[in-house]
Amino acid sequence: MSLSGLLDIGKSALLASQTALSVTSHNIANVNTPGFNRQEAILNIASPVAVQGGLMGMGVMVTGIKRNYDNFIQGQLLLQQQNHGRTSAQSQVLSQVEQIFNEVKDLGLQTSLQDFFNAWNDVAVNPEGYTQRNVLIQKANSLVSSAKSMERSILATLKNTNTEINDIVDRINSTASDIAMLNDKIVQAEAGVNSGTANDLRDQRDNLLNQLGDLTGITYYEDKNGAVNVMMGMRSLVSATKTNTLFSQMNSDGNNEIYLDGIHITSNVNKGQLGGLIAARDNIASGPLMDLRRLIASVTKEVNLLHLSGFGLDGSTNNNFFNTLQLSTEDASAGAAIPSSSITDLSQLTLDEYDITFDASSNYYVKDKQTGATVTSGTYDPTGTTIAFDGIEVDISGTVTSSDSFSISPLTDAIRNFGVSITDTDKIAASSFGTELHGNNANALQLSKLSDTTIANLSGSSFSGYYQRLVSDVGVMSRRASDSLKFDDTMLNEIQNRRESVSGVSLDEEAANLIRFQRSFEAGAKMLQVTDELLQTILNL
Amino acid sequence: MRITANMMFNQLTKSLQGSMSDIAELNTRLFTGKKINKPSDDVIGTVNAMDYKVNINANEQFQRNIDAASVYLDFNDKSMTSISDNLSKLKAISYQAVNQQQQADRDVFAQQAADYRDFLLTLSNSKIGERYMFSGYRTDQKAFAFNAATNHYGYNGDFGEIKVQFDKEANMAVNVQGSRVFSVPLSRSMPAALFDGTPVSYTEAADTVTGVTTVTVAIGNAGDPAYDTFTYSNVMDMANIMSAAWQYKNIDGADLNADPTLNETMAMHRINALSVPFDDANKQVLTIQAEVGTRQSEFKDQTTKLDNSTLTLQNALAKTEDADMTETIVAIQQAQTALEALRSSSATLLSQSLFDFLK
Repeated sequence: MSLSGLLDIGKSALLASQTALSVTSHNIANVNTPGFNRQEAILNIASPVAVQGGLMGMGVMVTGIKRNYDNFIQGQLLLQQQNHGRTSAQSQVLSQVEQIFNEVKDLGLQTSLQDFFNAWNDVAVNPEGYTQRNVLIQKANSLVSSAKSMERSILATLKNTNTEINDIVDRINSTASDIAMLNDKIVQAEAGVNSGTANDLRDQRDNLLNQLGDLTGITYYEDKNGAVNVMMGMRSLVSATKTNTLFSQMNSDGNNEIYLDGIHITSNVNKGQLGGLIAARDNIASGPLMDLRRLIASVTKEVNLLHLSGFGLDGSTNNNFFNTLQLSTEDASAGAAIPSSSITDLSQLTLDEYDITFDASSNYYVKDKQTGATVTSGTYDPTGTTIAFDGIEVDISGTVTSSDSFSISPLTDAIRNFGVSITDTDKIAASSFGTELHGNNANALQLSKLSDTTIANLSGSSFSGYYQRLVSDVGVMSRRASDSLKFDDTMLNEIQNRRESVSGVSLDEEAANLIRFQRSFEAGAKMLQVTDELLQTILNL
Repeated sequence: MRITANMMFNQLTKSLQGSMSDIAELNTRLFTGKKINKPSDDVIGTVNAMDYKVNINANEQFQRNIDAASVYLDFNDKSMTSISDNLSKLKAISYQAVNQQQQADRDVFAQQAADYRDFLLTLSNSKIGERYMFSGYRTDQKAFAFNAATNHYGYNGDFGEIKVQFDKEANMAVNVQGSRVFSVPLSRSMPAALFDGTPVSYTEAADTVTGVTTVTVAIGNAGDPAYDTFTYSNVMDMANIMSAAWQYKNIDGADLNADPTLNETMAMHRINALSVPFDDANKQVLTIQAEVGTRQSEFKDQTTKLDNSTLTLQNALAKTEDADMTETIVAIQQAQTALEALRSSSATLLSQSLFDFLK
């Protein structure tokens, strides 16, 4: 073994220490970088050489720089990120809706609903009084405006949610293309290298995947070249360096539907903020909004039914108190149409929604959407068929196919059309008898008692009972979302801590490393100095 | 477990956030004085509170109804007293017919009967606000009016009972129909003969729609020279017949009989025949007054009941949604202490690093 061998060992020590110091500096520099995984220089013993008497060590070598990274934790983190995204979006939307129904602060419908029926009570006490009748019309108007403002607020929340869905779709697209770009860089960077990976690029990509997970539900796998393929809603979003475009489109209900590469995937998007927003939107539309409309439709129906049967001070009868309920129809057919639809018998109305479908042998079926029961069926005549059921009459004409359908709803426009139709106080039907009986208050008494009557269309609740249930549903929905958020927040925090524990930079640790490698660098340098002195000694011989 | 700078930092920010949001929530509780500030704070509590409010509100409405109804009932009560007074006087005058009276006295009796008749008519047409009190449902009509064609007083009202809700399940009438007060059905104690033994018979015809009873009185035997019949359907009619009879006239102003002796006898018979119906009318009015009194006291009881129920509900409401101030303030102080401790400990922890000790 020659003295120059000693120089080589010293040099290897210097190089190794320097590399380790660089890695340490890199760690310190990135102490606050999100998604950064702590790196470490891997030191290895250099291959020994055979000398007389055995194998002689040849110093140290750096075999690679590894990142402290746990694939399992990353998987869990991504999963939890998706849950967290979902619940945080949901809780945000639902807490907005909750404020609309905040009866604790007397916002909402209860007060005006009660005032309305109290006003009927006052009319019953004083059926001949002009003031009482006038107050009744005022209270009815304020019930109308309360209901309308609640519906408006709910619809505004839904609209905001749809706008937010649009924004998130844009962010998903840009994140997806960033991932595709990083895929390209990683594949190129790792192509020539035998050992080690493109640590920093991978850190960036993992971070983007986490961000994407916060936005939407995804799954991904890494191919053999190091590129990841991301799937969303069971369709490919990122395939190595290629991305498919996600876009949102408004449907006939005004809701944004999600399409990936032209395929409709809304129902497959369950996680992340996008999934949360879609779920919250659909829950609100089919829950509180529908229930509120049903309540108002029911108030309209019951009050009108009684009012129609009563008599005003001027002896007039058969007057509606509120504007009549209107049917709204939806046409999902190319060849056929509904030229007219009407409510023929208000008392028969169930306030349910109906679907009309057809089969191949031109029979029609009317199905109650709420109960799922087929209400009526018959043979369809393309020249014009009148279908009557549950107080509703619908005319359909035109050619139909078995994939055609119509839906009929007395609820959709219930609040939009809600309004007081009586303007003349003399027409308020307090009396139950035809001739001009100023003191007859029997009908007013009946109407005031409606507030306590159980209503069949409201599954046997009274108006206020049904409304209380509605408020409690909204409260429970919001509570569940905020509880889930709390849980998901804690879980996410826990997993992030575990990731930090494996991959995070500890400044104390790095400070110690700094000293350690500084000392080893100094010792290596000393070694060179000693070797140099040894060489001098020989040269001076 | 490895602990890193970021872990400590995250933990710290989370804890600070947690403490702050606790304090914010407690503060809201303190500002509003309520422990439930949105339905999700306590869903069951919210729904219960709504239910309490509904019931309190309903109680207030029932109380309002009772207050309005009481005005009517008090009025009815007082009216009955006046009506009863008048009827007693009329009855007293009718008893004078047992003896022959001087022309001057008869004039006085006739005048008195006419005065009481008019006074009763005025009472029957009493009005509170826009409402004629004794017309049943026809509150825009005077209850009774004189019909110049028949010389009888007719009822314009009906048998409608104006009911007011004073409890969830209960209504009570606040009016007394004029036909019940001023029109009198026959009682069981109708006499078969007058003071001088002349037979008398009373026949009644009841109108079920208006509640008016028309009574036909026949005095003497058919074919007798002094045979007489007349009809009345209310106390004004009765007073009117009596007032005319004291003048020895029929209600149309004609003599009852061309023969002066028979004329006098027939007039005295008429007056005497009316004394029992006047008595019955008075009894009926007193019965109605007792009935009104019962309704008044029922309203009074109900007011107490409503007050109690409202108080119970308000207590329950307060218990459900009001925050315990002492508890809240103590909780805020605890949370603040915790936050301060957290701040000072984190200040020490975050500022230290191994770098501080390297030279």
